[in-house]
Amino acid sequence: MFSKLFPERLPSTWRLGLLLAVLMACSTALCITVAGWAMKQNLSSIARAVVLDDLGEYAVLYNRNGLKEIKDVFAAGGHENDQAVRITSSDGRVLFEQIPAAVAGYRWPDNAAANLQPSQTLLITVEHDRREQQLLAGCQVLKDGNILWFGRTDAEDRAYVEHIRDDLWLAGLVSTVFMLLPLWWFVRHVLRPVQDMMKSTHKLAEGSTDARLVAPDAVPELQAFASAFNAGLDRIDALTSELQSANDNLAHELRTPLARIRGNLEIHHDHSENAVARDAAARGMEEIDRAADLVQTILTTRAGEHKALKLHLESIDLGELLTDLHELYKAAADERGLQFTLQAPESRFVLLDRQRMNQAVANLLDNAFAYTPHGGAVTLELATTDDHTRILVRDTGPGLSATDLTKVWQRFTRGSAASANTPGMGLGLSLVRAIATAHGCQTGCRNRDEGGAEFWIDLPAGDLLNAQPPSSHPAIMQ
Amino acid sequence: MHGQIRCRRLNAVQHALTNAMHLLLVEDDPELARQTTIWLSEAGHSCTWREKGGAALIALGTEAFDAVILDVGLPDMDGFTVVEQMRARGFGLPVLFLTARDNVTDRVRGLKAGGDDYVTKPFAVEELMARLEALQRRSGITPATSARTLGKWTLDPIKRRLRHENESVELQPREWMLLEVLLANEGRILTKKFLLEKVWDIRFDPGTNVVDAMICRLRRKIDAPGVPSHLQTVRGKGYVLQAVS
Repeated sequence: MFSKLFPERLPSTWRLGLLLAVLMACSTALCITVAGWAMKQNLSSIARAVVLDDLGEYAVLYNRNGLKEIKDVFAAGGHENDQAVRITSSDGRVLFEQIPAAVAGYRWPDNAAANLQPSQTLLITVEHDRREQQLLAGCQVLKDGNILWFGRTDAEDRAYVEHIRDDLWLAGLVSTVFMLLPLWWFVRHVLRPVQDMMKSTHKLAEGSTDARLVAPDAVPELQAFASAFNAGLDRIDALTSELQSANDNLAHELRTPLARIRGNLEIHHDHSENAVARDAAARGMEEIDRAADLVQTILTTRAGEHKALKLHLESIDLGELLTDLHELYKAAADERGLQFTLQAPESRFVLLDRQRMNQAVANLLDNAFAYTPHGGAVTLELATTDDHTRILVRDTGPGLSATDLTKVWQRFTRGSAASANTPGMGLGLSLVRAIATAHGCQTGCRNRDEGGAEFWIDLPAGDLLNAQPPSSHPAIMQ
Repeated sequence: MHGQIRCRRLNAVQHALTNAMHLLLVEDDPELARQTTIWLSEAGHSCTWREKGGAALIALGTEAFDAVILDVGLPDMDGFTVVEQMRARGFGLPVLFLTARDNVTDRVRGLKAGGDDYVTKPFAVEELMARLEALQRRSGITPATSARTLGKWTLDPIKRRLRHENESVELQPREWMLLEVLLANEGRILTKKFLLEKVWDIRFDPGTNVVDAMICRLRRKIDAPGVPSHLQTVRGKGYVLQAVS
């Protein structure tokens, strides 16, 4: 409900703090208003009682001994200096007046007492021209027809109220400070653990699988959340390592028998004088090598798709990697009558598994070579901007059909332009995607306007692009 | 079964550059061990076979070997541990890993543990032999003596070219490396896999016939017309260079 009150990026500590401070200020102000109003009510009824009381007393004194008695009382001194007494005749003439400086300057009403009966009293509030204080004046008709006036200002009451108000503000301030204690608790046991967890999840997102949520000081709910989350991560980790070891075991179980058969074929080949038998053995060996490669490709693809591929990360110059590949494929391109060009303008250091990335780009080249007819052109390009690196392979082959564009990265999918003579089992591009995925890279393809297809691998803009100094130890990321 | 096969030297030393080695073969698969023993003996080497890591460590103490061929997946301890214990006991002889696992992480782990080279199953006998002999040369058992002539050509390694009287042929850097690897293993069949690794540092098989194409190009440069090529392709096995055709 308060979410729209704050700027979007304001941290929740500030939000809660501001909210608490505003609420405390409002409630303190409300307290002070109500208390001030109630006090004023009380004080004004007390003031009326005081005025009536004093008026009565002075009237008794006057009625007993006349004006002389009043004068004697004042002559004795000890009179309060916010109280005034005066006696006027019934026609308004002042007979006696005792007005201290604090009460001076008020215009006493003239004919207020005109309709009063003897011993009846009347209370009037008189405003001052310049001061805030009001004068509460009472009048009573005396026995001889003269009128007794008694006035008292509310200066003392006001000072009292002011004083109480100051105390209330102080109390409000202190209680606001106490109210910030929950804020401290919130920061320590809720907010900071949440921030720590956020850092851990960032690490997870960056590929460090051993990061866990740690919240020793957090509230029980957050601790329960962290342990449930960690249990999930442990499970994923266990599954990943299980997949890795299953891959290793499967590779072992398949490779060893292949090695036995190959060994025997080799012995047969080397000891046979019969050309036909030798040729058969040679073909058998070639098939076994292909099968071993196939097993490896399938396992690598599967592991890469599940992010379970073991990567040996090193700081690599991509420009150099592509230059080497260009050199490797140049002779084969010449033999096939393909124009093979490299556009890798600069060196670009990135952190990746050299063999795997080499294999991914080589597979893109294999693919382009297989589909580009004699006389065509294949281009290998490294396109870099400040925060973006893309490895591109372009060809002038038949391009991709609409179905190819979506399915070409899947396992055992061969392009619709493939013929019986096109080598491969449709695993090459799925291997490219698996290796790219394992590196956090994206793959893509499109038909070029000029004809032919274009395949690319986009390297992530984040950490993989930060060149590590060549002296740094190669990290092994699992 | 605690198998031990002593190979006798059945043939005379086949290869001019090869000195006979006495090897320790540690492999738990009897069939592969049998084949390897045959190949080693045909190449003029002798070997002692052990099935387990523990037994191999004992054998090291009782016999003098020139090198060890070590399977990574052994029943009692893995090959990496065997090498670590071997090195810890002060045995400095070269170790060639034989493994069914094909990934860089394992390879790096093996080399870190103290291994010297790495052959992945299934492997070609030529690859095993080429690597063994490379280890032998590296450890100084046999001095490196690669031919400095090729047919009519004299090699000029500084300018990377072949010379004959007034003729000369310039080679690209990779062509030169290819020629050097072939010459260093002259007369031996080298597999595509071995060449890819030694010349291009590539440990996978590209679908395109890049090695074939490169060999053809090199062949065109070094061969004289009308005479049999120095550089032969052996179907199913690889390529072999004969300096004197």
